[in-house]
This record gives sequence, C-alpha cells and structure tokens, in this order.
Amino acid sequence: MKATTPRRLLLPAVLAATFAAVAPAQDLLLRASRIVVAPDTVLDDAAVLVRQGKVAYVGADIPAEARAQARLVDYGDATVVPGFVLAVTTLGRDRDLAEGALAFTPDLRAVEAFDPWQKELLGLPAHGITSLSLSPSPRNVAGGIAALVKPGARRGSVATSDLHVQWSLTQASRNQERQPTSLVGAIDMLRSALAAAKLGTSTSPDLAIMRQVQQGTRRVFVHADSFVELAAALDLAKEFGFEPVLVGAREADKVLARLVAQKAAVVLDTLQPEGRLADLTLPARLAQAGVPFAFAGAPERLRLSAALAVRHGLDRKTALAALTRTPARLLEQQATVGALRQGNAADFLVFRGDALDLGAAHVATWVDGVLLHGDLPAKANAAPSTTATGAL
Amino acid sequence: MRILRSHRVTASLCSMTLSSLALFSTAAHAQEPTTTPESTPTPADPGPGARPDETTPPRGERRGRSRRPALVIEAGTVHPVSGPAIADGVVVVRGDRIVAVGKKGEIEVPPNATVRSFPTGHVYPGLVDAASDAFTDPVLRFQGQLDGGVQLADDLNRRGDRSDELVQAGITTAFVTVRTPTLLRGQGAIVRPVGDGFQLWEGHEHAALSLRMTNGPAPSNPLQRQQELQAADGLFEGLEDYRKAATDHQEALKKYEKELADYLAWHEKKKGGAPAGDNKAAPAAPPSAPTDGERPQRAINREGRRGRGGGGGGEEPPRAPQGEPTAAEVEQALATLFAAMGPQDPPKPEPGKQEPGKQEPGKQEPQNPPKAEGQPAAEKKDEAPKRPTYPKQPPSDPQKDALLRVVDGELPLRIEAHRPDELRAALRLMRERSLPLVVLEQAYGAAGLGDEMAKQGVSVVLTELLPMPMPKQYEAFAPAALPQVLQAAGVPFAIATGDARLAGMLPLMAAAAIGRGLDADAALRAITLTPAEMLGVAKDTGSLEADKFADVLVCDRPLFASDSRVLLVLAKGRPEYEAK
Repeated sequence: MKATTPRRLLLPAVLAATFAAVAPAQDLLLRASRIVVAPDTVLDDAAVLVRQGKVAYVGADIPAEARAQARLVDYGDATVVPGFVLAVTTLGRDRDLAEGALAFTPDLRAVEAFDPWQKELLGLPAHGITSLSLSPSPRNVAGGIAALVKPGARRGSVATSDLHVQWSLTQASRNQERQPTSLVGAIDMLRSALAAAKLGTSTSPDLAIMRQVQQGTRRVFVHADSFVELAAALDLAKEFGFEPVLVGAREADKVLARLVAQKAAVVLDTLQPEGRLADLTLPARLAQAGVPFAFAGAPERLRLSAALAVRHGLDRKTALAALTRTPARLLEQQATVGALRQGNAADFLVFRGDALDLGAAHVATWVDGVLLHGDLPAKANAAPSTTATGAL
Repeated sequence: MRILRSHRVTASLCSMTLSSLALFSTAAHAQEPTTTPESTPTPADPGPGARPDETTPPRGERRGRSRRPALVIEAGTVHPVSGPAIADGVVVVRGDRIVAVGKKGEIEVPPNATVRSFPTGHVYPGLVDAASDAFTDPVLRFQGQLDGGVQLADDLNRRGDRSDELVQAGITTAFVTVRTPTLLRGQGAIVRPVGDGFQLWEGHEHAALSLRMTNGPAPSNPLQRQQELQAADGLFEGLEDYRKAATDHQEALKKYEKELADYLAWHEKKKGGAPAGDNKAAPAAPPSAPTDGERPQRAINREGRRGRGGGGGGEEPPRAPQGEPTAAEVEQALATLFAAMGPQDPPKPEPGKQEPGKQEPGKQEPQNPPKAEGQPAAEKKDEAPKRPTYPKQPPSDPQKDALLRVVDGELPLRIEAHRPDELRAALRLMRERSLPLVVLEQAYGAAGLGDEMAKQGVSVVLTELLPMPMPKQYEAFAPAALPQVLQAAGVPFAIATGDARLAGMLPLMAAAAIGRGLDADAALRAITLTPAEMLGVAKDTGSLEADKFADVLVCDRPLFASDSRVLLVLAKGRPEYEAK
C-alpha cells in the first residue's frame, strides 16, 4: 500500500492538514465510542492503532507501549466505519477509458489513463469514498483491466493496477460505426474469444486475459442492464465456467434464481430517491436471495443509496457491507480496503450517529491514515510546532 | 379580495333597495348574470377527488362530535411539535379533531374509546409538504401555458402519478403547484391527500401565486437575468390603474343603485303606491335591466376567461353573502317592478347624441341634472327622474386580480429563484413593490443572504436537500446546509419535496438537514408546523394540539431514522393508511 505524503499544505484547515501530514509517520490512536471494524464486528468504546497508514492493532490487541506513544485522536461519542469503496467508476472520463475504434480490448489497462491530479478525486472524501475501482468504459464489449485508486490530500494514488477485466453487453457497447452493432454481435464476439482462449492456440495478450477468466484467476465484471443482457452474461458464464459480477443489473429481479445458482454478484447503480418502488426494494430482494451486491454510480449518492435501501427493507448490516466489505470482496481487495482489520489501509469515516442515517453528521474522512475531509476532534494531541508553521 | 369586498358593498346597497321593495324580494330568482365580476365565496368545490361527505363543517356545526366514539393512540413517544416530546404519550381523538394530548395516566381516556397502542412507536402530527406537484396534470409540469389567473385547483386530477404515496408517507396536507417554465405559474392550492384521492382545503383552494425568476441551471449571463427581473417587475405595472377602474366602477354602481331607487320611488309614488307585486296582470317578463352596460359575467365569458372563485368556468352566478340578497335577486325584483309599472322606455336618442341616462365608460351621469335656466323650481319638482343607466363594466383580468391580491397581502407570492443574484432580485422586487407575503423557493444560493431575508420577512421553502449531483453552475451550493444557515439568521423555512415521487423522502430530506447541522426539533418543525404556518392552516394542522384536526402519523421508529416505517396515518381522525 502506497502511503500519500503531502509535500506542502493545501487544505483550508491548516491544523488539520498539518496534523495529517505527520500522521503516517507517527502512530495514531483512533478512539471512538463505536468502531465498526467490519459490518459484523462492532467494538464499543474502542480504539484502533494506525501505523504507516495501515491498521496495526484493533481494540484489546493494542500493546500498552504503543498506545502510550501514539498520537491520540479521540472522536468521543462518534461512530467510526470503514471507508466506502466505489466498485465501478470512470471518474467522468468515459472516452479516455475506451478505445472507440475497437470493441474488443480486454488487455487495455485503465490505470494508464489515470490522472492522479484529476479534480474529481479531491471531492470523493467528502462523500465518504476512500478507494475506487477505476474501470474501463462500458463503450467496449471487452474494455480492459480495472485498477484500484485512492484519493489523496493533493493527488490520488494507485493502490492496485491489475484488478478484474470488464466486459459490456449494454446498449453503450454497440456502435454503428464498428462491430458489434447488436447485442447478438456482442455476445458472439465474447463467445468466440472465450472459445479461442479455451483452445489455447494463441498467445495474444487479449486472449490471455480471456483465458484467465476461464481459469478463474481473473474476475470479470459485465455491464448488463436488461433481462436479455443479463441472461446472455449468465449464459456465457455458465458455458465457460466463471462467476460474473453484473454491473447495472436494473432487471436483476428477473434472473434472481440464476444469480443465486451461478454465484453471481451485482453492482447496482446508485438508487434514485424518486425511483419506483421496484427499484428501491431491489437491494432488499437481492439480500434476501443471498446475492452479494455493492453500489456504484454518482459518488454523491453512494451513502444515500444505502440509506434508501434500508428505508425499503434492507438490514443495516448488509447495507453497510454494500458500501465497504462487499465491493472490496468483489474487487478481491478485502485484505487492503473495506474493513478496519489488522493490515487494512487506515481508511475510515467518522459520523455522529449511524452512518446509514442521513441525520448523522459526516465528521471526517481519513485515507491511509491521513485526514482528507472534515475536522480533527477536540480531543487530539497538538501538532508539533514544526508542522504548525508549515515546515513540512 | 378587493373586488369581492366591493361586491359585498353592492349587495348591501341592493338589500337597502329591496327593503323598500320587500314584496319582490322573495319572488325574485336570478335570470341574468350578476352585477359584479367576482362572486362572493361559495362553499368550496370539493374537487374531483373529494369525498362529498368529508367537507369540513364549520366549527359551530360540529354537533354530535362529542357523541362519536373516541380513538385513543398510545405510544412510546408523542412528538406534539408545539411542545417537548412526551414519553408514554397519549393522543385522544374524537371525530375529526384532537381532544387531548398528554402523558399516559394524566389524560382522561373517555369510556368506550378505541385504544390503539404502539408501545415503542412514535407519534407525530401529519406531515405538511409545502410544495408538491401531486395531483397536477403532468403536461402542465413541463410545458403548460399558465398565467397568474390560472387556478390549479380547477385542474387537479384525482389520481396523479404516484400521488397516492403522499398519504402513505404521512403527508396529510400539501400545497400543490407546478414548476412549469413560465413566468407566472398560476395559483396553487392546498390539498389534503386521502387514500383514494384528495380533498381541496376549503378556503385555501387558491393559496399562493407562483412566479419564476430564474433561468434555471442553464448557462446565462447577468444581463439575461436582469431582463428576467424586469419581466417580473413589469407584471406589477398598471395594477393601480386597473384597481382604480374597478373602484370607479364600484362607485358608479353605488350611484346607480341610488338613482335607481329614486327613480323607482318616484314612479311608485306616481302610481299611488300600489305594490307592483300585487298586479296580477303584470307579465312575468324577462328582466329589462339596462342593456348598454356590458354585464360582467358575459364580458368574462366573451374573453374566454374565468371569473375568480367560480371554479366552474364562470358559468354560475355568484352568490351573495349569507343573509343578503344577491344582485341577481335585486335585478329580478326590479324587473318585476318595471313590468308592473308598464312601459317606461326612455326616448331613443338622436343619432350622434348620447342617450340621456347613459354615459361613457368610466363616467357617471350626475344624479340630478342641472336645472334649466329660468325654469321655475316648482315645475322641476314633479318632473320624472331619468332612468339611470347601468355603468359599464371595466375589462376583467384574473391575472391582475391575483397580482392585486398579492400586493394587498391577501395572497402570498412564491418566487422561484436559485442563484444569489436572482434571489437579490426577488428581494428587490419585494421591497420596491411593497409585497407583504413572499416565499422563496429553490433558493439554493441563499447562504449569504440570510440577514437580508430575515430583515425583509421572507419565508423559504427548501427542496432538493437529498445528496445529489448538482449542475455545474450550482456546484458551489449546498442545499442541505441551508436550513441551518436560515435558522441561524432567523428566516422561517419549510422543507418540501417539490415532487410527488419524493413524498416518501420528506423525512429523509429533513434528516439530511440534521446531518448538516440543523437540530432535530427544527427539522421536525420544518415539515409540520412551519409549513402549516406558511400556508395559513396552522390553526388546524401542523402540530398535535387539542382542537386541531386529528392528522396523526405513527411510526415504528423515530421519523428521521432510515428504517423508520409508517404504521398508521390518520387524516381528520380517519385512518387513511395502515401498514399491513
């Protein structure tokens, strides 16, 4: 995990920024009345020790000596939860993350188009997002390889450059100026590539990626919204033996049984408050069926989507998991993000109340042990004088 | 209601005339349009979605309410809004009203009462949505051709797109309007959503006039926005002339009534005082009221416009206030009298000469014509007075009538303005036109204007408080943070959905404001009592208090929790929604 160390101060709150600047270099003892290590592990009146931007110890495991030497950040009666993980995003750069002339580019890497200075990254901590999967655009049938990136104080960083491969069967992938122009054409393109990869006669990089999918060494995210698109994705998965993650999946309720049978997961678009009841209750129905799901879409609506899902029948634990642990698992990054277990990145959010109640104020966002949004609590050790003057 | 008041004056004068013609008054029936453009308030049209048996009886007519069985709601916490929350609270309802609110054990439970107990539940007053497009025509919302004279109450649909979700969400009162992209959007109405439609709130069918002073999020420059302001300001030009024409007409009517009374008295005296109604030979002729003065209702119909308050396209003659004869009755009585007296047609005027007794519009013939020079006074004394001419009705303009009501403080003006410059323009309009009641809507850029808004006494209806991507031009605004800013500045504000599809989100919107620093009590008030006050219905709803309507919302958890569920909704004491 690459820790972000700002070279100079930019945050409006000078104290917060200076404190943050030294935090990775010094152990930090985070205390709060409620710390959600993971949705099913909640510690009351607990602490977490952060060292070098990662969770070093949790709760009673913290050595007394380390506790005594660490810098205290006490959020009092607040609740600390893991940072939110945005499962799919192009950060508004669809055209840079898809090759317009070709539809089949499974070996392209989104990380190569990552701009760590992109201003959209700076706004993400305000919405609780501490890591995101920068994904190829769904304009291509086989778009390429996603990367896990993180916002920082001044610039973003790449956590992992080699995540899943992304496919798309949605309307966006069909283009009248190049093949495929239809859904059946897109399906055939993927099926042919998978079949060729299965033969193993070609060593081309794109077929190598397809082979990894078949072998189960690389996860595949498939954009599919309607019933026919979802059914086609599931057919391919069944035919070639992989467990897909379906992105969008607006009509997932029509293939619910197949999702369960094929151990598929879903990344839902963020919920619209004005949406129909059938859309708003879809998360609860997925959860009831045992289909893992996460949210992706407008960053502003990530937390709202979970709150809306709770309002429409989803239990709070699953809703919080859909923002944290589940997307981390779908990205196969549960060892680094999505929880506050030992070894995870110190990505956490502080709320005055339950994170899934909109009435709970979002107090702070920390990424890799660095405060990126909000304020330090009143009970925090004073920053060294060198940092107060901006010497760092 | 200036013209309405004027009509009442006219009706009073007519009643004076009738008092001298008492025998005719009972026989008269309206056959002709009446003499004023505006009708007196009639019992409100309950609207297409209304239940005939559910119109609100006047307070004095609530006999029998005390005999109805009481309903007692017990809950873990009762939130009256008008006071602190009550643990182990009780709300006693009888008929359509709340009888008592208090702590269990301290409130007397009537015998034979039905008790509904929610030991861990939370009870709130029915929510008040200060802006919704529920029950409105979907076409109107986006491309409707509206002006200030349009009364949306006439065009509401019993079933709107998901409008039934209002009552399921606990909303028992809503101000309905549309966000049509026109300068003036007509007059919104206050409705009471019920399980199978809505009721118009009697007396509040025309609750506010809506004005748009924004270009929206589309790119625009200050000059364009200045032109928008000028267009809005221009609406108020010429209103005083319009008012004066109406006032002059009322004066002319008064004069007419007096002259007519003199005229009739003279002829009655000449006839020997025989009551015309006793003349059995008198034909039941149609009223021969003056024909040169255009009748107001006809004039309105000819223009294809509705009269205010008619609710039915101006077809029905207006009624006089209770106890007073209508102008139509007066005319009918007079017509009967004319018939009894025989032909009295005045001589036809020579071409090019004005007919005696008639006058040009806006002018009124002197009551007593000047005496001819050298004519002995004794001869003039017995000369028949000239038959007066009905004064010509000035043109009626429902939009101007509405704007006059705004100027007079009888109708609030709701101004949609987004950016700070648009809001400043709205405040300037308020100042320069001395508008007493202004409510700002969608005031996203109000954060820096709190003091000015407080000073001018405006209220604000806040929508779009849920987190959402804002248009590029609005990225600097933080709608969810506005309630706290306005509260600190002392500006009254309500939180509203603005959209029937968001009915279930009203508590979450308030919760979002809490998340940005607003205290929970203020948030609850912003969706109950404050909007009720803004809408002028706070004496009947908005809080749980004795003698208010029994608009009650019961939830299983605190209202602002994401997983709070609506268990029961009472509207005027009647269960309109109950969770299965």
